[in-house]
Amino acid sequence: MPHLDAAYNLARWLTRNPAEADDIVQDAMLRAFRAFDGFRGDAAKPWLLAIVRNCHLNALGQKKRQAAVPLEDQIVAGDPTPEGHVLAADDGRRINAALAKLPEEFREVVVLRELEEMSYREIADVTGAPIGTVMSRLARGRALLRVELAGDQT
Amino acid sequence: MNCEQELRVQAYLDGELDALDAAAVEAHLENCAACQAQCEAHGDLHAALAGADYHRASPLLRARIGKSLDGEKKARPGFWTGVSGGAGGMAIAAGLALFFVTRAPAGLTDALVTAHMQALDRGKPFMVASSDHHTVKPWFAGHADVSPPVTDFKAQGFTLVGGRSDRIAGQRAAVTIYRHGLHTVALFAWADTGKALPADATRKGYHAYYWKQADLDFAAVSDTAPGELRDFIALVKKSAAGE
Repeated sequence: MPHLDAAYNLARWLTRNPAEADDIVQDAMLRAFRAFDGFRGDAAKPWLLAIVRNCHLNALGQKKRQAAVPLEDQIVAGDPTPEGHVLAADDGRRINAALAKLPEEFREVVVLRELEEMSYREIADVTGAPIGTVMSRLARGRALLRVELAGDQT
Repeated sequence: MNCEQELRVQAYLDGELDALDAAAVEAHLENCAACQAQCEAHGDLHAALAGADYHRASPLLRARIGKSLDGEKKARPGFWTGVSGGAGGMAIAAGLALFFVTRAPAGLTDALVTAHMQALDRGKPFMVASSDHHTVKPWFAGHADVSPPVTDFKAQGFTLVGGRSDRIAGQRAAVTIYRHGLHTVALFAWADTGKALPADATRKGYHAYYWKQADLDFAAVSDTAPGELRDFIALVKKSAAGE
């Protein structure tokens, strides 16, 4: 199963929830498998990740219709610890928390660029956004991360 | 305080610019304090993000998906099943492998490890299956750009199982495949390009060790223990030196 880890990593960072990520990736792999006959591109990874992203958006839409839990609350619930200061030295934890807090449109481009090392063109293919939009979201996402990490230290 | 060139500098730092544009950005950087600061901040954040979690699919999820795909495969035989799926499957697998190898952005180690993992994913890591070096070596003559020495090290615990060719460093590299217990060891060989080889590295649990010998560049890639991979390399070096 090529790119399964990449698919899972994206799903985890989009959902910030292991169980939901599992379901989304399973759904996405099955769809990819069924659609493979129709796939004529030369870039399997962006193609698969675009499917993962769509599955996530579908699931998100369903969840929003089902429950009225504000997204903000879910984010706070997902945050690792209230005693963040004690763990300030734990860099991995800090960057994870900062990245998880980033609004999704910025989080996904940062994850695809920095964790998946994808090109702007590939990120545009995954997100369906023009390259110029990918660039400005990346810049904004990185700036927000820096602010979050800097604020964390004080 | 941001310079209007911010996005262009970012593209430069992300490796998205060609040589001409990159040179223009470098010239701009010499005189722009804001963009110099951006470079530094970019580097710091990039380093911090290297510490972020990369979430891998659990063995449980992998098994769950494998099972549900098996159901699909039974319903539609010959589809996406790699080598066992017949010519169509093989062509798709080969096409994917080629794509993965050629696009690898982050250097040789990534290309080699990806090629190795991709071959393992197909179920059969070789194109010619043979434990006889008299079969594997001539196969390279028609399928790879180099013909490295091929030796079976069965007595030493590394059993020759076959060979294939992968596109590495712009050439058709000869890849000799060995089994070592439950592990697969891929020995890549391609013509020395005159460039320095990357440092030994580990990606996704796979070690890639490099060396030059005679007029060839070698890389051994495996998830076996580093000490055992070193032993294997010592065997190859000794054997190649003797030939």
